[in-house]
Amino acid sequence: MVEWIPLLMFAAVCVVLLLGYPVAFSLAGTAMLFAGVGIIAGWFDPSYLSALPTRLFGTINNVTLMAVPLFILMGVLLERSRIAEELLDTMSRLLGRLPGGLGVSVILVGALLAASTGIVGATVVTMGLLSLPTMLKRGYQPSVATGTICATGTLGQIIPPSIALVLLGDTLSTAYQQAQLQMQVQNPETVSVGDLFMGALVPGVLLVVMYLLYTVLLAWRKPESMPALVETEEVAIGSLLKSLLPPVLLIVTVLGSILIGAATPTEAAAVGALGAALLAKAKGQLSWRRLRECGESTLEVTSMVFMILIGAAVFSLVFRGYGGDDLIQSLFANMGGGVGMAVLVVMVAIFLLGFILDFIEITFVVVPIVGPILLAMGVDPIWLGIMIAINLQTSFLTPPFGFALFYLRGVAPESVRTRDIYRGVAPFIVLQLLMLGILALWPDLATALPGWVRSLR
Amino acid sequence: MRIITALSARLDAYSESTGRLLAWLLPLLMLNTCAVVFMRYGLEQGSTFMQELSLYLHATVFMLGAAYTLKRDGHVRVDILYRQFSPRAQAWVNALGTLIFLFPLCGYIILISWDFVSYAWLIRESSGEPGGIPAVFLLKTLIPLMAVNLALQGLAEFLRSLATLLGYQAEVAVGVAADNDGQEGAL
Repeated sequence: MVEWIPLLMFAAVCVVLLLGYPVAFSLAGTAMLFAGVGIIAGWFDPSYLSALPTRLFGTINNVTLMAVPLFILMGVLLERSRIAEELLDTMSRLLGRLPGGLGVSVILVGALLAASTGIVGATVVTMGLLSLPTMLKRGYQPSVATGTICATGTLGQIIPPSIALVLLGDTLSTAYQQAQLQMQVQNPETVSVGDLFMGALVPGVLLVVMYLLYTVLLAWRKPESMPALVETEEVAIGSLLKSLLPPVLLIVTVLGSILIGAATPTEAAAVGALGAALLAKAKGQLSWRRLRECGESTLEVTSMVFMILIGAAVFSLVFRGYGGDDLIQSLFANMGGGVGMAVLVVMVAIFLLGFILDFIEITFVVVPIVGPILLAMGVDPIWLGIMIAINLQTSFLTPPFGFALFYLRGVAPESVRTRDIYRGVAPFIVLQLLMLGILALWPDLATALPGWVRSLR
Repeated sequence: MRIITALSARLDAYSESTGRLLAWLLPLLMLNTCAVVFMRYGLEQGSTFMQELSLYLHATVFMLGAAYTLKRDGHVRVDILYRQFSPRAQAWVNALGTLIFLFPLCGYIILISWDFVSYAWLIRESSGEPGGIPAVFLLKTLIPLMAVNLALQGLAEFLRSLATLLGYQAEVAVGVAADNDGQEGAL
């Protein structure tokens, strides 16, 4: 009976989470209760928990994770200084005369700027506030408008540099080390956040292209669903460049310096945040007061992320202490069907967990448990990371529980029916599943670029 | 009852002011890290001290910011059901959650990190790197400090929920309104 306690603990935590107490403390608190009962009953060896201070100090000392507050600061600065808004405005004026032009602009701006925040809720809310009223005003069908915004909002987490990928990259690198240690590999390889960024690039761009193709196709077949702008307004090429170039340059520089290996993600994030601050300053949008507000927002999001990391650390210590690792391992071993089956089961589990857990929680709770097992079976860590990211993104879009849908519902006007949102995201879910299938068939799409860059260095 | 609301207001104010101070560390973190980058690539010089300073700033921010985030209700919740609950039901969740999850967690972190931290103080643990900041014992102290801060703000949340459950919504509502005003003023 005792060997099933890890699964019971997992089920218990899912129930507890649904009550709505903050995730970080629910995770840790439930685990503590299980540990407490276990210690009294003699099922649980308290020495497992004594590793906690060292684990916490490991988090404090983790230089890679320092990229998180810096990327968040960069995103907050870009958002608060209305750079994203201006970009969307210029783009839509340029493309608005074409049917579907506004939709295309939303996707492009979302893909570009959402990347820096990469937290599903924040991105969907921002994009929703920014573009939904305009789209509706211009006669876009509510389902088309909301579907585009939800899908684009979740896109941010897979387009680098997103903090979701930073967290996933860090977790996967630990998992990969463990897996190789277990297999007694002589010269263990490493996987870094930069590798994951590179791996995400091709699939991310492919997804954007698929979104764009779909939008253009829909505009062509059903122009009434996304009408063109009636009053035409010339956009001077100068003003377009002025609003387009600086943020694009900033993102490209940050990303580029990581990809060619000139800077670590942390360094690039710091320079990117400084760039965003200077950009805001140049636009006269940065006062001391605004800087303080940006600092406060960043503080809030950063602490939120790290508390989940700490809560998940407590949870996984207790999970291990109850032999959860061995349990999962033996479940996989007894399942049969080999690596393919194991990956499929994990993907389905993550998809379902995506209904109640955000990207961060899944990265910190689920990946450390299943990651080493899958990687020890010979799964490529970069491919696995990208599959998880796209899978989660799909999960966040899927009615009725998808996160993105809730967040957009929160900012959408009453006139938009929930059914419209559900109908709107359906085609994008198909595209996502298509992408997952493509990536499963051709893993090279994710792994070739990092491998190539590595061979150059 | 007045004592309860006064106490939770006092605790709120404490968390709020730590948050405001900590917020300024983020631009500092950005500038310091940029300076490290500039020195490395521009001047081809590395400064262990400055690299570690970034680490200290970062750690201070997320460890001590946890209480402020709790006060701002910034810790993410699974709110599929929670948001449909009545204020009373939400108060139940928060009161019980604080009592069953948060307090034991904080207590346990303080308890288990005690030896870890006091040993670091005893030997005045310094950086492992030459030229690093000789204050690793302070860095380690962040662990129990985080727990203390969180517990204090947790107490404020608990008292507030208790007041709601005991039927003092009016006073609480006034408190919330004042709080919102404060936030709007800040924006």
